[in-house]
Amino acid sequence: MWTLRRFPALWLLPALLPVALMTIYPIAQAFWTSLHSVMLLFPGEPFVGLENYLRVLGSNYFQDALRNSLLFTLLAAPTVVVLGTLIALFLHGRFLGSQVVRSLVLLPWVLPGAISAVLWVWVFHPSFGVLNGLLQDLGLIEASIPWLTSPRTALPAVVVAHVWTQIPFAVVLLMAGLSTINPETLEAAAIDCRDPFKRFRYVVFPEIKSMIVVLLVYNALTAFTSYDLVYAMTGGGPGTATTLLSFQIWRESFSMYDFGAGSAVAFIVVAVSAVLIVAITRALPSDLFAES
Amino acid sequence: MRGRLHPILTFAFAALILLFTAGPVALSLYGSLVPDRVLLDPDRSLWTEGPNFESYRYVFTGQLPDSYLQESANRAMISDAARQVPQSLANSLVVALSAMALNILLGAPAAFLYARYAFPGKKVTFLFLILSPLVPAVALVTPIYMMLQALGLVGTQLGIVLVHAAKALPFTVLILSVFFRKIPPEIFEAALLDHCSRFQTFWRVALPLALPSVGATGLFAFMISYSEFMFAMVLSGDAQTRPVSVVMAALARNTDVSWNLLNTAIFIAIVPTLVLVVLVWRFVVEGLLSGAVKG
Repeated sequence: MWTLRRFPALWLLPALLPVALMTIYPIAQAFWTSLHSVMLLFPGEPFVGLENYLRVLGSNYFQDALRNSLLFTLLAAPTVVVLGTLIALFLHGRFLGSQVVRSLVLLPWVLPGAISAVLWVWVFHPSFGVLNGLLQDLGLIEASIPWLTSPRTALPAVVVAHVWTQIPFAVVLLMAGLSTINPETLEAAAIDCRDPFKRFRYVVFPEIKSMIVVLLVYNALTAFTSYDLVYAMTGGGPGTATTLLSFQIWRESFSMYDFGAGSAVAFIVVAVSAVLIVAITRALPSDLFAES
Repeated sequence: MRGRLHPILTFAFAALILLFTAGPVALSLYGSLVPDRVLLDPDRSLWTEGPNFESYRYVFTGQLPDSYLQESANRAMISDAARQVPQSLANSLVVALSAMALNILLGAPAAFLYARYAFPGKKVTFLFLILSPLVPAVALVTPIYMMLQALGLVGTQLGIVLVHAAKALPFTVLILSVFFRKIPPEIFEAALLDHCSRFQTFWRVALPLALPSVGATGLFAFMISYSEFMFAMVLSGDAQTRPVSVVMAALARNTDVSWNLLNTAIFIAIVPTLVLVVLVWRFVVEGLLSGAVKG
């Protein structure tokens, strides 16, 4: 690591300025909104302090939505990373047809979210869904299960669909990460250590650890803040079984026209995701955020 | 790194991966080849009826499928939204490629500096980059829309490109700096001995060595832009300039569109992008990874 005495503006500002343009003013504006009563139906935007936050925290949806969002994130993000790592390790080796599998693994990536939702509604559909048909043919279930409309299975079902949309990116990054490992290191490890799990734990994992941390952070953020796939599949139901906190930002703002409350939900989401990110980087310390 | 797996186990694992990732898409291919009355009838299937390409013909030529002309067809109306799919693919390609190019161009130098140098303000600016995507986009739609309106960029592709590029940039910098860190420092010390300037070290040494990773990161930026929906919707103008995510979402919600036609649109939208993504992945990323980078 070399040291510079001045801030290298010429190198960094091209990246920092566009991000600043799209974040600093809009976030300040949203924060201002969260402290004011901004409703379309009532003119004037009086300062109300934390009233919006208190109203959101005390609302009847808040507890369910927060619990669902946390559960969704805790199920989805680790599953994406673990499945992604397994698939990347598997596809890193060559076998007959490995190129075909490597290409088709990217399929979920090229579908816009609205379309993924349609496909998965079709898979889970109670009357002509493929999953029910398959399970019935195999004799595992007798009557078809209404996956998306029963409170117990709705959340796991949307988690499966969400994981499906996120897998390709994890696989691509992890395969790229695996390929940067010096092949001689791997050969030496293969000679010294016969147990593949130990080899992964002590040789491969440290090499891709920072990539795994980046992926976990990215996926935790995505899972906690995105709602479009889930909403398109279940509309937040049945009841409140799949109502996510991030969806309430949209609902408060563009359905209730209470922009103050919508922004307040957004900053509660920010606070929780910040805690999630700190927890991830603490639990898996890597050189990514180190000073030197 | 993997122990030698039994061939049958390899095959089973590969089949499982394929079933999960490609299964739902195979369903949509199936659905695009049979009319709805066959699709929803348990006694008839593709194998008894044979493939039917009429909805593909409709999307490209505008000639109505026979099933729509039948007297009893309950979907009497047809949305010509499906016919916008080829054009919207081209629009998305322009937007996503621009966002990708901007990301690499603006992000790679910053990632190199964050990976290799210590300088005042490093921690603050890096934290800013990492924390900037924290605020959910839904909360920022209104202010960003008003800002771009003031700049006269609403309804233009440039506006969408800017928003998408800024959305992907923090992750581009983060991912690329992980890759730049992987290059052994000795290589940079050698470059220093050869009196390479900082720019030469970046341009002639770091960038070529990390090219596969730059390719993978570029793909990521491309896909973020390609699949983004909310900003694409509020910022796009008339039907001729809409990206594919907006057109497909409109199709998916349109009850006048039959399953058959929707699946056809899905499949038409998938194939060119999949070919593009696979080509970049195979020839840029994997091709270079297999030989070029020696640690």
